[in-house]
Amino acid sequence: MFNVTFYIRRLHSICGIVPMGLFLLEHILTNAEAIGGPAAFNEAIGRIALIPHDIMLVIEIFGLAIPFLFHMLYGLYITLQAKNNPAQYGYVRNWQFALQRWTAIFLFVFLIIHVVDLRIFTKGGGTPISYELLDQMFNNAGWFIFYLVGMIAAIFHFCNGVTTLCMTWGIAKGPRIQTFISRVMMLVCLLLSLVTIAFMISYKMH
Amino acid sequence: MADQKTVHFIIERQDTPDSKPYTEEFLVPYRPALNVVAALMEIQKKPVTKDGKKTTPVVWECNCLEKVCGACMMVINGKARQACATLVDQISQPIRLAPARTFPVIRDLQIDRSVMFESLKRIQGWVEVDGSWEVNTAPIQDPNVAATAYEISHCMTCGCCLEACPNVGPQSDFIGPAPTVQSYLFNLNPLGKFDKEKRLNALMEKGGITSCGNSQNCVEVCPKDIKLTTYLAQLNRDVNKQALKNIFNK
Amino acid sequence: MSKKNIIVVGGGLSGLMATIKICEAGGEVKLFSYCPVKRSHSLCAQGGINACMNTKGQNDTTWEHFDDTVYGGDFLADQTAVKGMCETAPKLIKMFDRMGVPFTRTAEGVLDLRNFGGQKNKRTVFAGSTTGQQLLYALDEQVRKWEVKGLVKKYEFWEFTNIIKNDKGVCRGIVAQNMNSMEIEAFRADAVILATGGPGVIFGRCTASTICNGSAVSAVYQQGAEIGNSEFIQIHPTAIPGSDKNRLMSEACRGEGGRVWTYRDGKPWYFLETMYPAYGNLVPRDIAARAIYDVCVNQGLGINGENRVYLDLSHIPAEYLERKLGGILEMYSEFVGDDPRKVPMQIYPSVHYSMGGIWVDTKHNTNIPALLASGECDYQYHGANRLGANSLLSAAYSGTISGPEAIRWSESDEIGEELTDAQVAAAKQAAVDEFEKIIDMNGTENAHELHHELGDLMNKSCTIVRVNKELDECMKGLHEILERWNNIGVSDKSHWANQEAMFVRQLRNMIIYAMVICKAARMRDESRGAHFKPEFPDRNDEKFLKTTIATYNPTSNEPEISYRDFDHSLIKPRPRRYDVAKGGK
Repeated sequence: MFNVTFYIRRLHSICGIVPMGLFLLEHILTNAEAIGGPAAFNEAIGRIALIPHDIMLVIEIFGLAIPFLFHMLYGLYITLQAKNNPAQYGYVRNWQFALQRWTAIFLFVFLIIHVVDLRIFTKGGGTPISYELLDQMFNNAGWFIFYLVGMIAAIFHFCNGVTTLCMTWGIAKGPRIQTFISRVMMLVCLLLSLVTIAFMISYKMH
Repeated sequence: MADQKTVHFIIERQDTPDSKPYTEEFLVPYRPALNVVAALMEIQKKPVTKDGKKTTPVVWECNCLEKVCGACMMVINGKARQACATLVDQISQPIRLAPARTFPVIRDLQIDRSVMFESLKRIQGWVEVDGSWEVNTAPIQDPNVAATAYEISHCMTCGCCLEACPNVGPQSDFIGPAPTVQSYLFNLNPLGKFDKEKRLNALMEKGGITSCGNSQNCVEVCPKDIKLTTYLAQLNRDVNKQALKNIFNK
Repeated sequence: MSKKNIIVVGGGLSGLMATIKICEAGGEVKLFSYCPVKRSHSLCAQGGINACMNTKGQNDTTWEHFDDTVYGGDFLADQTAVKGMCETAPKLIKMFDRMGVPFTRTAEGVLDLRNFGGQKNKRTVFAGSTTGQQLLYALDEQVRKWEVKGLVKKYEFWEFTNIIKNDKGVCRGIVAQNMNSMEIEAFRADAVILATGGPGVIFGRCTASTICNGSAVSAVYQQGAEIGNSEFIQIHPTAIPGSDKNRLMSEACRGEGGRVWTYRDGKPWYFLETMYPAYGNLVPRDIAARAIYDVCVNQGLGINGENRVYLDLSHIPAEYLERKLGGILEMYSEFVGDDPRKVPMQIYPSVHYSMGGIWVDTKHNTNIPALLASGECDYQYHGANRLGANSLLSAAYSGTISGPEAIRWSESDEIGEELTDAQVAAAKQAAVDEFEKIIDMNGTENAHELHHELGDLMNKSCTIVRVNKELDECMKGLHEILERWNNIGVSDKSHWANQEAMFVRQLRNMIIYAMVICKAARMRDESRGAHFKPEFPDRNDEKFLKTTIATYNPTSNEPEISYRDFDHSLIKPRPRRYDVAKGGK
C-alpha cells in the first residue's frame, strides 16, 4: 500500500551514486597518487587520517557500511530476479544489463574480502594502510589480478549504473539521449579503468 | 520429388505442461514467401518427421496470420517473434522453433499468456466511462497525443517483450513492459487521465515499473515497433512525481 | 428476481458489445471464446467504420447512409433494420471515442473522415489502417472492467459445440469444450447470444482468421436454426494472394486515392475509372471484384498473364500514406517484400465476408426462442453486398440490440423452465460421445488435406461467377467430401489440447455449411450484388426480392431452401448502377 518496493528501489538507485559512486571516485583519486611513488601515496593517506577517529567511525558506519550493505544485499536480490539472456538477445544494452549483474555478484564477494582483509583485520588490527603494505600485497599475482578485476568491475558497475539511473529516474527519455549518456558513461568507464590500470601497474614499476 | 527444395525445422515439443520437452525434426516443401505458420500447417497435413516416423501434428496458436492478433508468438531461432510474419527466406536454417518459456507451456508451442491479461486488470487498463449510452460529445483531442496513443494501442499482447525481457519469468513478479506501457496509453486519454493517480500507484507496487532493469530488449523485439523504453522512461518520470505528491500532498 | 444469466458465444466486436449492454442492465455473462477475446477476428478490419458525422461540409445525412447501404446491398437488406443502424451509427462513434479509441484526427482535433466504396460522401471514421483492432480493444477493455466487477466470467479457449433446448424448445444452455483439458461441460442460461463470426475458412484461403470457420453457426443450423441469404459471399477486390491465406489490402487504399490498373496495349489501363466514371475506383466490392476477374480471366490482361492487377498508391506522398495507412503498408512490405510507397501493389480478389448467416428478426432473435445471433454470423443489414466499413458498424450495432433483447428474454415467462439435470447430462454425454468417436477415427484421410480440397472446390464454384452446372457438381463434390470425412484418421489420440480432433469436428460442420452456400446459390437464378450468374445476368425482383431461408434436412444433410418476404417498404428498389451517379431516390 505504501509502495515500499518503490521507495526501496529508488533508495537502492541513489545509494549506488551517493555514497558508493563517490567513494569509488575517492578511491581512484587517492590511489592514483601511487603513480607519484610511495611518498605521494602515503601523504594522501595521511590527509584522510587527519579526520578525527570518532567522526571517521560514524561516517564509516552510517555513511558507508550501512548503505553499502543495503545496496549489496538488495542488489543481490535484484540480480536473482533476472535470467540473463545476452546470448539470445545480443544487443549492447542487454549485454550491459547482464554485465551489471555479473559484476554485481563478483563485487559482492570482492568487497567483503577487501573490507574484511584491509579495513577490519589489517587496519582494525592496528596496522596502518601504506604504500609498502599494498606493494607487498600486489607482489602476489593473484591479489593483483583480483584487485584489478575488482576495480574495473566496480567502475563499470558504477558507470553503467549512472546510465540506468538516468532511465529509471526518467531523466533521459528518448533513445537518442539514452544512447548518448550510455556512450559518455562508457567513455568515463574507459578513462577511469585506464587510470586504475596505470596506478596498479605503477606498483610494479617503482 | 527427390530434388524438391525443402525447409528443415527442429521443433521443441512437449506433450503436457508437466512432461519433458523433446525435439522432432521436419522437412517442409519450400515455396516462395513461405512463413513459419504456413510451414506448421504443412506439418498438419503430413505429420511425419524427417526420419519418416509418423507423429502427431504440432500444436500452436494462431488466428489472423497478418501480425495483428498476437497469437502465434514463439521463439524462432532463439528470438521471440510472430510466426506468421517470419518468412523462412529471411532466417537461417535449420529453423528452430520453441515455446516462449517465460510463460507456462500448454502443449508444444502453445503457451498460457493469461498472466498478461490479468496484468491489464491490475493497471486498470480501461477508460472509466459512465456507460455505453449516449452522453454528450467526446472531448476534442490533440492529434499529436492521439497519434502517440494510436502507436501504443497497437500492442497486441503477443508477449514478445515479456519473453525477451530478462526480468520477466517464473523467477520474478514483474508484469513486463507491455502491460506497464499500456497504463501510459490510458493516462494519455482525456478521460482516462482522471484515474492516472490510481494507475501510477499500481505501477509503484511490487512487480510494477520498479522491476524494469533497463535491458531494453523489449523495444528491440516489439513486432509493432512501439517505443516501449521511451514510454517506460516517461512513466518513471510520472511515478517519481507521483511519489513526491504522495509524500508532500497528504 | 431473475439472475439475468446470459451466455455470449464469441468475443469479437459484437459479442463484447452485447456483453457490455447486458452488464449495464445488471445481467451476468458467461463469455465463451475460442481464443482470448482480444485476439478475435474483428481486429483484422482495417479501413474504418461508417457513420454520418457530417464534419466535411458535404451535408451528409443518415438517410443518405441508409440509402447507400440499401442500394449497395442491391435492395436485399431489411430496411427497418438498416435504418436503425445508420441512425445509431454517430452515437456509437461517440461512445467509442469516449472509451478511448485512438481515432485519426484532423489538425483541429476532431475525428477525421475518409472516402469508402459505394458512398459519395466522406463518412468513414478510422484509426489509421487498424480500425477494427482499435475498436475491439476498446470493448475488450470495457469488458475487462466488468470482469473485475464480477459480472463477466470469461471462458477463453472453450469451443462451443451445441445449444441445449428445454421441453418447450427454448434455448436454455450450451455445451462447450475446454480446448486444453478437453473436458466437455454443459452450461445453463436464460438466453444465449451467438456472435461467432463468419465462415470464411470454408473457402480455405480467404482474408479471414483461421478461427472463422462457421462451425458454431453450422452446429445451431443442424439443431434447427434457419440460415438466411447464405449465397451472398463477399469477394474483396483487393487482397494479397497467399498460399496460407489471402491478406486483406484495405479498401481505404482506394479511399485515400489508390488506383487500380493493369497494362493494356503496353499502357496502364485504369479500368475501374473507365468502366465506372461516376464512382471510379470507389465502386462497391462486388463490382470491383467482378471487374478485376473479368480483366484477368476473360480478357487475359492480368500482370504477366497471372491473376493479378495493380493497386497503386505510389503517386501519393509517403508521409500522408504513413499517417493514414501505415499499418497495412508495412504488412505488405513484410509479407511481399516490395514497398507500396514506391511500387504498385499486386492484388487479386479474395473471399472476405458473408452477408448471409443465421436468420434473425430486427431484434436479432433467431427462429429458436431465446437464441440470438449478432455480428457477421447473422444475416442482417447487408443484403446482397456489404459496403466497406459497414461491417464494424453492423457488428457493434447488432450487439447493442442483441444484448438488451437477451435481457428481455431472461425477464420474460416465455423461456419456461430451466434445463433439468437429465437434459444437461444428456447434452453433455452426446458431445462427449461424438468427441470420443472422432478421437477413435482411424481412416486414411487427413482432415487438413480434406479441408484444402473443400476450399478449392468452394473457391472454384461459389465465388465471383456462379454457373448452375458447376454448382450442381460442387454439391456432388461436397457430398463426396462429407462421405470421405467418415474415413478420416486422427493421428493424435491425446486428451490434452488435441487441436486435430477439434478440427475434425469443425470440418464436418464446415462441409455442411458449404452445402448451404452452394444450394442457396444454385437456387437463386438471378444476379444480385455479390451473387452473379452469367446465365441470369439481371436482377429479378419479381421472383427473388426475398430472403433465402435454409433449413437443415438431417436425412440428406442438404438444406431445404425457401424464400421469405422482408421489409423493403422505405426505399423502393431501383436499378443499381455505378457508372452514373445514383439515380432516382
